[in-house]
Amino acid sequence: MNEQMILAGLIGMAFGWSLERAGLGDAEKLAGQFYLRDFTVVKVMFTAILTAMLGLFWLGRLGVIDLAAIYVPQTWLLPQIAGGLIFGFGFVLSGLCPGTSCVAAATGRGDGLAAVAGLFMGVLGTGLAWPWIAGFADSTARGAFTLAELTGLPYGVVVAAITVLGIAAFVGLERFERRA
Amino acid sequence: MTLTRRLGFGALGLGLAAAFAGSPYRDRRGQIDLGRAVQAIDEGSDHVTALELAAWIRDRKPGLRVIDVRSPAEFAADAIPTAENIPLDRLMRTPFQPHEVVVLYSEGGAHAGQAWVLLRALGVFNASFIAGGLADWRDEVMSPMLAPGASAEDKQVFDQAADLSRYFGGQPALNDPAHPAACPAPGIATANIRRRGC
Amino acid sequence: MRPYANPYLAGVGLGLVLLAAFVLAGQGLGASGAFAEVASATVKAVAPKAGGNAWFESYLSGGAPWSAWIVLELTGVILGGALSAVLAGRFRLQVARGPSLGVTPRLLMAAAGGVVMGVGAVLARGCTSGQALTGGALLSVGSWAFMIAVFAGGYATAPLLRRLWS
Repeated sequence: MNEQMILAGLIGMAFGWSLERAGLGDAEKLAGQFYLRDFTVVKVMFTAILTAMLGLFWLGRLGVIDLAAIYVPQTWLLPQIAGGLIFGFGFVLSGLCPGTSCVAAATGRGDGLAAVAGLFMGVLGTGLAWPWIAGFADSTARGAFTLAELTGLPYGVVVAAITVLGIAAFVGLERFERRA
Repeated sequence: MTLTRRLGFGALGLGLAAAFAGSPYRDRRGQIDLGRAVQAIDEGSDHVTALELAAWIRDRKPGLRVIDVRSPAEFAADAIPTAENIPLDRLMRTPFQPHEVVVLYSEGGAHAGQAWVLLRALGVFNASFIAGGLADWRDEVMSPMLAPGASAEDKQVFDQAADLSRYFGGQPALNDPAHPAACPAPGIATANIRRRGC
Repeated sequence: MRPYANPYLAGVGLGLVLLAAFVLAGQGLGASGAFAEVASATVKAVAPKAGGNAWFESYLSGGAPWSAWIVLELTGVILGGALSAVLAGRFRLQVARGPSLGVTPRLLMAAAGGVVMGVGAVLARGCTSGQALTGGALLSVGSWAFMIAVFAGGYATAPLLRRLWS
């Protein structure tokens, strides 16, 4: 048991803690996002993305971290879009996602456990079917590919744009909620 | 002002400032440790033979990744079994894990050798390449040959190569003059040298 | 039972956890990957011939699943989530479901949704944690595409599934 392993566990605990504190272990809350009843999901998710994105940019800019050394998830454009659409359907069907289903299960919810079981089966089955889907699943590969590289804009400009759009969206959301 | 509002303004400030702050990356990217690279080349750890790779594939060496750096069209026409097709531009954006055994190859070996150097500039030191490329694979693995007058030791090497060859559906040949690649080469064991025709 | 936290504050907290992962471990968070690790190990143990494809290999080549970073992280998620609930008085055996849905149908739907998400996560190489959060913060094109697609897929199918939640 080395330090990286312990670190992984600790980070995971902080992750699970944060999710539960935000109420994201509750399937009704999560599903409520898709019926425009409860906007906790987008608020938590995009605030988290903004925070980490800004943190990464500035820590990199200040030389505290080596941004290039951080593993960027690779892009397979079409499979990820297709996977996202399918995942979205599953999300509304179950009211949970992989991380939150674990939190739900951990907080006594039977639906969380059911979702975890289903996830395992779905992942396993798709893995077994890989030879037949690999052609599509490996298509449109771009490697580690950022929005900055896609648009040709400086990294910081993309960060600024996303921040402005995100904050604007939150302001709009608050107004919408106040009226509803 | 509530905490949430303060956070919002803070984020906005940090975000807008980012547009004028320059690059968040360190300038280190693309620098290569020349001495270390030359040492790897000198001691031969930069490349592997096609036969070695064949044995690794057959024995399912853990973490093995065979990478074909040619174009998708060339890859579709003919490739080493279990190979992944990652052309050079995407190869430079592909993360590799330290435990992986990366073997690069191209048609004749030049592009793979270049990729080896480029990957070292990105901090990937667990890669090697097949010096003679796919041509080596075809010669050494798919159609190894044993010349007349070969020593017992050469015969042993050839037998191992022939075993591997059959595993991959190749055709080892025993000094068959009718064989299209046959060349009279008295006293030279062809299992040891790369064939380029007569 | 204490009320849930302000979502923006919770989001900042989550973002800081994500940032800590980047800084301290060189990688972000994830969840579906842990399922993939366990699935690969299961197949290897139970029916190794069936699992001889590149997808399983990519997880098996890194060693045993319990030593995989993401598996340890997800274990932490379970512990952290449980701890938070217990301390806030929110731990309760229950089945969260829409007001007009029975327990058994709910459990079946949850499992079915899980299966569907499993398919999507394998295709996308991740889920809301690994792709949307992690990849999103790193400006990965595929991650943002995935995230937008998840919301699109969710909103598009929500009307069909209304009975589950209202």
